[in-house]
Amino acid sequence: MKDLTIRNLSKTYFDPYVGTNVTAVHDVSLKVEQGEFVCIVGPSGCGKTTILNMIAGFIPHTGGEILVGGRPVKGPGPDRGVVFQSFALFPWRTVLENVAFGPKMRGVRKVEREKIAHEYLALAKLTEAAGRYPAELSGGMQQRVGVVRALANEPDVLLMDEPFASVDAQTRMTLQEELTRIWQEKRPTVIFITHDVAEAVFLANRVVALSKGRVLDDIAVDLPRPRSWDALNDDARFKELSGRVLQLVRSA
Amino acid sequence: MLWRLSSALWFCAPFVVLLILWAVFIPYFDVNPRLFPHLSSVIQAGIEGIKDGTLIQHIGASLLRVAVGTVLALLIAIPLGIAMGVSPIISSFLTPLFRFFSVLAGIAWIPIATLWFGYGFGAITFVIFNAVFFIVTYNTLLGVSTIPLQVRNAAASLGAGRWAMLTEVLLPGALPNIVTGIRTGLGFAWRGLIAAEMIATNVGLGYMLFVARDFYRTEVIVLGMIVIGVLWLLLDRLVLAPIERATIERWGMVQRA
Ligand SMILES: Nc1ncnc2c1ncn2[C@@H]1O[C@H](COP(=O)(O)OP(=O)(O)O)[C@@H](O)[C@H]1O
Ligand SMILES: [Mg+2]
Repeated sequence: MKDLTIRNLSKTYFDPYVGTNVTAVHDVSLKVEQGEFVCIVGPSGCGKTTILNMIAGFIPHTGGEILVGGRPVKGPGPDRGVVFQSFALFPWRTVLENVAFGPKMRGVRKVEREKIAHEYLALAKLTEAAGRYPAELSGGMQQRVGVVRALANEPDVLLMDEPFASVDAQTRMTLQEELTRIWQEKRPTVIFITHDVAEAVFLANRVVALSKGRVLDDIAVDLPRPRSWDALNDDARFKELSGRVLQLVRSA
Repeated sequence: MLWRLSSALWFCAPFVVLLILWAVFIPYFDVNPRLFPHLSSVIQAGIEGIKDGTLIQHIGASLLRVAVGTVLALLIAIPLGIAMGVSPIISSFLTPLFRFFSVLAGIAWIPIATLWFGYGFGAITFVIFNAVFFIVTYNTLLGVSTIPLQVRNAAASLGAGRWAMLTEVLLPGALPNIVTGIRTGLGFAWRGLIAAEMIATNVGLGYMLFVARDFYRTEVIVLGMIVIGVLWLLLDRLVLAPIERATIERWGMVQRA
């Protein structure tokens, strides 16, 4: 695990429909410490996915710099694990093989990498599903696989782009609780993107509010862990923090 | 298992009815054997053809051409289709072209094939090659372009290099389309084969049919037709369809029909 530094990051797209340049990300600076869980929250279209895709190396940035453990990002790489809203599992691979994919790419031998995969599947209570194919699982189960697939590769930074947005509300709450539990156990550096203020406050150590491609403010979340919805639903501090973030996001 | 057996029996049932009607009505109406043969004489012709080896020879020649033409076509079509599919610009540029040739592929190539390769193995294999090549290339191209960008991104951020991307993502991701392409292409190839063999060779099932006509040997003609149909059904049902089922449906990449 390493820290992540973003300095004066910007991104300008050429919009072929309008025929002009559109700046989706303006001069964003952010430092994420090793083992920290940061949520970036903002309304849709504010540039969240663009930021994440640049950190992941899927798209080039047009200004500033991104450093992981001090080294600049050039293209995608195993030091940055990604969890996608669309899950993006390999449909032709079993759950076990999906999770073992990263270690396989590192050249870990079959017996060893399956051991690793089983370990991570157990962490997400997926042991039963090891031999199934993704298409045979529910959305919630698929995203559990998506999360442990990224974790099993032991990335320095885990990047998550609205990973729970396409599962039902009940499952989402379970997944959020499980994620905080897994995070406490493994302590990865996480950047989690969401438009859901409550989700951001529930998960994070720190919430970064984004609007129109700019960072508005940075709010520390000092809620105790382990966190559960049962405990936090009526928690005064949780309500206060959520209220502040919401106000911030809406004020812009 | 029992279900598979009963569905196989059900598949055969209409053919059995057809055979019974044939065995009963052709003798009953005393049909001229120069117009349509008795079932018994077709069976006779089949037994003779196996005994003297001619039938086996014709079948062997036809299958060899299909095998060679298909394997050559796949060896080129799949890598080419993947290479083209990686670039969205190239793939959308070439798609209309390959669509056009997919439709054209088949017996339309016979005249030019005989000019290029002369009569015989080369020309016929070329026809098979064309039937499979264009459809499989087009389908591979299509298959690669349907792999979601996020799935490729996922592989890249898990550490997949170029080679792993090819073997672990692009190839399996395109496989459903490739298999469908092979199945369709072979269907065209098989029809094209018979037509080509009537024109451009002196051995093979198509040739066997065509020559028998000159001698009014309807029992050989009908035998040939049955063999052609049965071979295709066996190939399709016992080889191609199970491959499609075993992988693709389980992966959930195509909807169950
Ligand atoms: N490939 C692209 N080409 C042009 N404009 C884009 C592209 N991707 C995103 N944008 C624009 O950039 C802005 C931010 O988009 P995005 O990062 O997807 O926001 P979010 O994830 O917060 O919803 C939007 O205005 C969007 O229209
Ligand atoms: Mg987004």
